[in-house]
Amino acid sequence: MSAPPPGLRAADADAQALAPFTTWPDGAGGVALSQFQVAGMHCAACSGLIEALLNKLPGVEAASVNAASARLALWWRPSQVALADVLAALQAAGYRASPDVAAPARELRRQEKRQALWRLFVAGFLMMQVMMLAAPAYVAEAGELSADLDRLLRWGSWVLTLPVMAFAAGPFFSGAWKQLRSGRLGMDVPVTVGLAVTFVASTGALFDPGGALGHEVYFDSLTMFVALLLLARWFELGARHRAADALEAVAGSLPTTAERLRDDGSSERVPPEVLRAGDRIRVAAGEAFAADGCVLAGQGFVNEALLTGESAPVAKAVGDAVVAGSISLDGSLVVAVQRVGADTTAQGIVRLMQQAQSQRSSAGGVVERVAAGFTAGVLLLALAAGIGWWWIDPSRAVAVAVAVLIVTCPCALTLAAPAAWLTASGALARRGLLLADLSALERLCDVDTVVFDKTGTLSEDRLQLRRHWAAEGVDADALLAMARSLAALSRHPHAQALADGSSGLWTEVRELAGRGVEARDANGLVWRLGAPAWVRANPDPAARLAFGCGDRVLWLDLAEAPRADAAEAVKALRAQGRRVRLLSGDQRAAVARMAAALDIAHWRAGATPESKLAAVREWQAAGERVLMVGDGINDAPVLAAADVRIAMGQGAMLARSAADALLLSNRLMAVPKALTLAVKTRRVLRQNLAWAALYNLACVPLALAGWLPPLAAGIGMACSSLFVVLNAQRLNR
Amino acid sequence: MDILYLLIPFSVVMVLLIVAVFGWAVNAGQLDGFEKEAERILLVEDQGA
Repeated sequence: MSAPPPGLRAADADAQALAPFTTWPDGAGGVALSQFQVAGMHCAACSGLIEALLNKLPGVEAASVNAASARLALWWRPSQVALADVLAALQAAGYRASPDVAAPARELRRQEKRQALWRLFVAGFLMMQVMMLAAPAYVAEAGELSADLDRLLRWGSWVLTLPVMAFAAGPFFSGAWKQLRSGRLGMDVPVTVGLAVTFVASTGALFDPGGALGHEVYFDSLTMFVALLLLARWFELGARHRAADALEAVAGSLPTTAERLRDDGSSERVPPEVLRAGDRIRVAAGEAFAADGCVLAGQGFVNEALLTGESAPVAKAVGDAVVAGSISLDGSLVVAVQRVGADTTAQGIVRLMQQAQSQRSSAGGVVERVAAGFTAGVLLLALAAGIGWWWIDPSRAVAVAVAVLIVTCPCALTLAAPAAWLTASGALARRGLLLADLSALERLCDVDTVVFDKTGTLSEDRLQLRRHWAAEGVDADALLAMARSLAALSRHPHAQALADGSSGLWTEVRELAGRGVEARDANGLVWRLGAPAWVRANPDPAARLAFGCGDRVLWLDLAEAPRADAAEAVKALRAQGRRVRLLSGDQRAAVARMAAALDIAHWRAGATPESKLAAVREWQAAGERVLMVGDGINDAPVLAAADVRIAMGQGAMLARSAADALLLSNRLMAVPKALTLAVKTRRVLRQNLAWAALYNLACVPLALAGWLPPLAAGIGMACSSLFVVLNAQRLNR
Repeated sequence: MDILYLLIPFSVVMVLLIVAVFGWAVNAGQLDGFEKEAERILLVEDQGA
């Protein structure tokens, strides 16, 4: 694992090798944005270290590390620095970065988990044995334990402590070394100083009982301290891995192999990473496309729900474009590969989500800053306490300094925020709501107005034509056939409900957000299909949709059903004391019907994207915090303006890219649950911070006064870390 | 009680041996996924490797 992946060694890093995990925001040859998974990070402070380290390298524009998901986003210039050098610099600092395509990341996680488990076992198991050897000295009456036997027990403890210090505590030592070398103080420094001081003092007492280091040995509290810290980290690792797994489940829509056609007509199965633009692949029925491309031979239906949100099959014939991640439903297609890896549309979506993940939430940053200043203070305090006690009672100086160092480790402080955010996002992901931005949890707490879009959000995507009619003397059925052929050219749910696969000779097709679609027929007449008021000046109030040209107008009514749990979700939101609004571009009658069915008092119909935006701005100006739930292309601007935005998982790409969270399950009950969980998360976070502060306030004076033996200090310290992590785990329920 | 002088060093060596055995088990992947082991019986033989 230590060597960078093949292909990255070349000084002229070629774009092909970078493709799976790199994008070029300002075009080829400019700044490259590469995503990595980082192994070796075990605390929030590490992210700052990596950023500082990378930013110093020539050719690196910026680096952003998300401590929670262990992801690194690196902006760099391939013309000035080789990626291998960047990775080597990271490696020298003790971190391993691997390109963020799913498989290597999973392998890294597996190794990290094994390593953590082994360290935890070594520390935990040896801790128990050391305690057994230490027990006789605590329980024996005076004179019961012979001096020889006591020495032998101490020797046994020392031998069993060696693997704990040398192996299990390794992450603390390497972490502290990294922090010291970069001139920053993290939580590993006081832990390491505490461990080293305790071990040296105890070893000195063992070999030279009458020496300056006193005659007490602390091997039992030392091993327990390491074991409990490792246990807390084990929980944190678990939370991090669960979040990573949840993201990967979404990202894993690409197939693991593709059938590449050779020039002689034979074929081979290859992993998608080795595909290059210009290759030809064959995709059988039921398979997913491994790359974006265009159809060379064959025809069939394709499910493009990943891209468009429409689950209806799309017909593909020779020359049509297909996107990676969509699924061929019938027939076998031969596709010319045009884009692979990170350039594909599907990976574009995934990357948007990852970029949101790499932005650290502001609360996390504050906690980290507090921890850094805190550590510097603690080190000075311990030194002062040691010197102070040297004058009062030299024999206790070391013990007091040790107690101060162990008791004040800011472990709980730095664990507080990430543990809570990560657990909450994991719990939401299991309910089908995937957070793209962790800080959305913070904003969700203040939401008092929930605005729903109607079509595709509160209602099912599928619509059905209920009835159609026209004025006297107009052939309604003939117009309907024309309307159906025009509808096939639009992606709007209304049009999709009409489309029956027939096609007409339409030219100059234009789609207007919030209005409809217009096109020119074979005779050069412009027909419109869309909102009745747009098609004709004084529309039939019963119509939901109209199709027409001049006076020849067909009125259409579509039936639409609310989602199964829409009424329940609206009720739950109101029970939480939140205002529920319905904001739709649809006809007044249809919106009124839906509002009545769901018991929504505040509703607005016939809204255009501009008036939706204006309405949300107006509510915000009135002091309301708006959560917008929408799905369509016409919801994108209003989503961007809302305080918190949730897009339906099947929604259009544009809506999804603007969203803080994706509702993948389409179960609306996840929205009230997310709001409840956000409030709970804030409560847990505050509890955690308050606990960490309270604990230190209580223990530091005791340690300074010398009333806190190192054993009690170790227990208190480790327990406070565990408390914080376990408290966060409550959010999982 | 003299037997303790033998038993204590002996137990220390035993403990270190157990740790070594566990380390082998972890690094051989025996503790990677418990669900995987349970589900393996449901898989076709050549998939289950």
